[in-house]
Amino acid sequence: MVATAKLCDEATLKGLISALEAGAPDDLERTDRLLAQYPEDGRLHFLRGSMLAGIGRPIEALPALRKAVELAPDLVIARFQLGFFLLTCGDAAEALSVWGPLALLPADHYLRLFVAGLTHLIRDEFGESARLLEEGMAANQENPVLNRDMALLIDKIRNLQSPVDTVAADSDVSATSLLLRQFASKHTTH
Amino acid sequence: MNGALRRGLALLVRAERTEALLWARLRFEKRQDAREPLFNRYAGLARSIASRHRSWGRSAAWRDAEQWAYTGLLQAIDAFDPLRGAPFEAYARRRIAGAVRDGFAKSSEMEAQLSARRRQQRERVGSLKAASIAAEDDPVECLGAIAASLAIGLILETRLAADERDPDPSPSAYEGLVWRQTQAKLVREIDRLPANEAVVVRQHYEHGLSFAQIALLLGLSRGRISQLHSAALLKLKKRMAKEY
Repeated sequence: MVATAKLCDEATLKGLISALEAGAPDDLERTDRLLAQYPEDGRLHFLRGSMLAGIGRPIEALPALRKAVELAPDLVIARFQLGFFLLTCGDAAEALSVWGPLALLPADHYLRLFVAGLTHLIRDEFGESARLLEEGMAANQENPVLNRDMALLIDKIRNLQSPVDTVAADSDVSATSLLLRQFASKHTTH
Repeated sequence: MNGALRRGLALLVRAERTEALLWARLRFEKRQDAREPLFNRYAGLARSIASRHRSWGRSAAWRDAEQWAYTGLLQAIDAFDPLRGAPFEAYARRRIAGAVRDGFAKSSEMEAQLSARRRQQRERVGSLKAASIAAEDDPVECLGAIAASLAIGLILETRLAADERDPDPSPSAYEGLVWRQTQAKLVREIDRLPANEAVVVRQHYEHGLSFAQIALLLGLSRGRISQLHSAALLKLKKRMAKEY
């Protein structure tokens, strides 16, 4: 839990998240300043990685997300996002390896269901993939941003299965979208 | 990450990130295995730049021009800072063209020296000689092993390089079929080699990279590349001997 001086306190973290949600122009700088104070806080590295991915700086996003998982291996959302980021880079093998510990989550946990759905997707098992992603969405009450991304993905899967419908080819599954609400509602590790 | 993506994975992959991942691995994680896919990604660019400069030199110098271009590309990969914002291709173009121009400028002084082709052959024989002597007691067997491994190298070169400038070496339709089957079998066997040996064989015979260039690519010593080369060819020879 967040109890030692090595980690940023809850109030400061909430303040940062609120500023980010409000679209503060200096969000990255602000996170960097906090990281200079709390370099061992995996949550700050996760936020930084998510921000970098969101603004099109994936080369820097990867080490930030990796650092987050290294420092906070139980921060499951960071682990999920790192795996998803690797998938969007085309490295399915490493994504699956990163996701490995998520198999220890309860069977009805939304992240475990999402991982299962994405694993089927990688194998081109579209029906099973869409079913599990939908189950994950139903189970996910805390992270609507992620549900929106999964809904877009399910649309694409359905389109692959019956290509008559046209889903915009460039619609982006924002795998590394800022999952700030996740933190706002629940920012402890599991 | 190689080859055509499955349809499901293709839904997720964002093209700009596949290359970003390689740069992140090379720069931040110091992973030497990221260099080869980057090289492969831009090897075509290097060849096209070499081809444009080819008219500057002797007609026989095209292999040299490609070698200089590959060296320029390898140097560009190692010197490039992906965080500065400029795309790698623009940066690499300048480095590759510079390396080719420098190569031609120096080549007139070096014409009496070995061509890239002869250097390549000398490297191969040197690599195979030591391994074959170690593997065979009988000098005649040893010579046979070297010859067989060199022949395998020749077959690989004509298959992997697949260059329209090289005529089909087979004299008849039947022999052409046998030749192609042998080539196909060899290419399949390369996939079964240990990863580093497969990289050495592919890069040396497909792109014509010298052992020194492959050493740079893999972050290993030139001597180690020579060992990997001979080990790979001896394995291929044994497997082909079982087949025929």
